[in-house]
Amino acid sequence: MNCNEATPLVTAFADGEIDRLRGYSIRKHLDGCADCKAKYEAVLALRERLRTEVPYFVAPPGLRARVGALAEETSVAQRRVPQNSDRWRWLAGGAFAGSLATVLVWILGTAVLQSRGNVDPGLEAVAAHSRATLGQHLIQVASADQHTVKPWFLGKLDFSPPVVDLASIGFPLVGGRLDYVGGRPVAALVYQRQKHTINVFVSPEGDDRSPRDVVLAARGFNLRRWSHNGMSFWAVSDLNSNELREFVSALKQP
Amino acid sequence: MSEHRRFEDLVLPHLDAAYNLARWLARDTHDAEDVVQDACVRALKYVGSVHGGDARAWLLTIVRHAFYDWCRRNRPVEIARDDGSAIDAAVDHVSVGPEQAALRSSDSRTLAEAVAALPLAYREVLVLREMEELSYKDIARVLDIPVGTVMSRLARARGLLQRSPLLHAIAGRATGDGA
Repeated sequence: MNCNEATPLVTAFADGEIDRLRGYSIRKHLDGCADCKAKYEAVLALRERLRTEVPYFVAPPGLRARVGALAEETSVAQRRVPQNSDRWRWLAGGAFAGSLATVLVWILGTAVLQSRGNVDPGLEAVAAHSRATLGQHLIQVASADQHTVKPWFLGKLDFSPPVVDLASIGFPLVGGRLDYVGGRPVAALVYQRQKHTINVFVSPEGDDRSPRDVVLAARGFNLRRWSHNGMSFWAVSDLNSNELREFVSALKQP
Repeated sequence: MSEHRRFEDLVLPHLDAAYNLARWLARDTHDAEDVVQDACVRALKYVGSVHGGDARAWLLTIVRHAFYDWCRRNRPVEIARDDGSAIDAAVDHVSVGPEQAALRSSDSRTLAEAVAALPLAYREVLVLREMEELSYKDIARVLDIPVGTVMSRLARARGLLQRSPLLHAIAGRATGDGA
């Protein structure tokens, strides 16, 4: 093989697109030709630099949540009835993207959600909860001290979430983090009840017209929404609905 | 399998790839998010027709279409300027010498900037090959061009990058300092 034959193939060879037989001839040519070898090595050097120096952009959590909710909306629209295999898939599957998308709201008790517009904030809260508990980002500030957790949000949010520790009644505060729910950054407070994690999402009250003071269930999580002092709250947990109700009433005490 | 199960199995695992491509094409965080979201709406619609093995290339194809539609609405000038066929027709007389090819810059921001400054047709082929590591065949499918064109565009993309004035300034300085 001479340079005229080798030149057009050198980059394809560097890209691993040349079959073994031709690859062998090219390799032999490269050993004896400094020019072609330099071209070949330039491709490899550029690749190395691209891989180490040029950022690979991963999907932001907010986008992931919205896309997950998108799949949900469709399935809600199709009025699919959740099946057991679906229902526990988030546990078995491991992939949090999977869990995010399988979130499906159905109704407990007498609460009736009238339109899809009402479903979304709850879905997002559940998605944020499962994302946090399955991933490594449950807690950004780890502290049982409300006087440590509350100031941590200072400067990170345009509001100051109320933070109380409920360790005295068996719901210790374990920390907090920033999250993204309902199209805006929110404060996420993390509480523990034995092995169960409770996420409380706090944001200024917006135009979210989800039903208040009802316990909903989605994907095996219970969730509860209420408002207090101009703040909107979502509590999400795998805790049973009675204990979650107990937790929420304690949190609502002034 | 329900549509949304297929969506979660086939689309969600490749969301990072979708976003990375959109981000490099749009060169803006918010625009990239819009493009990916639009692409996912489309993907949801057509998810019934995809076969598992091809899911990533299939999704990237949709992302690219969504981007070009978005771009036609929002930045028509960019498409006209960077039109792939026009670029392929232009002959490049400058050959790359090995000494030019050896990129000396260690400034990573510069290399990222040089990639971002590539014309659209070269940027997309480079991202698909070097970041997504797609085969020529898959790239040809995503870009809807022959494999031969993939090869020539990729070679041009690399050449442009290696000769990028952004990198050259640095390389020149480094050489000057060394002398």
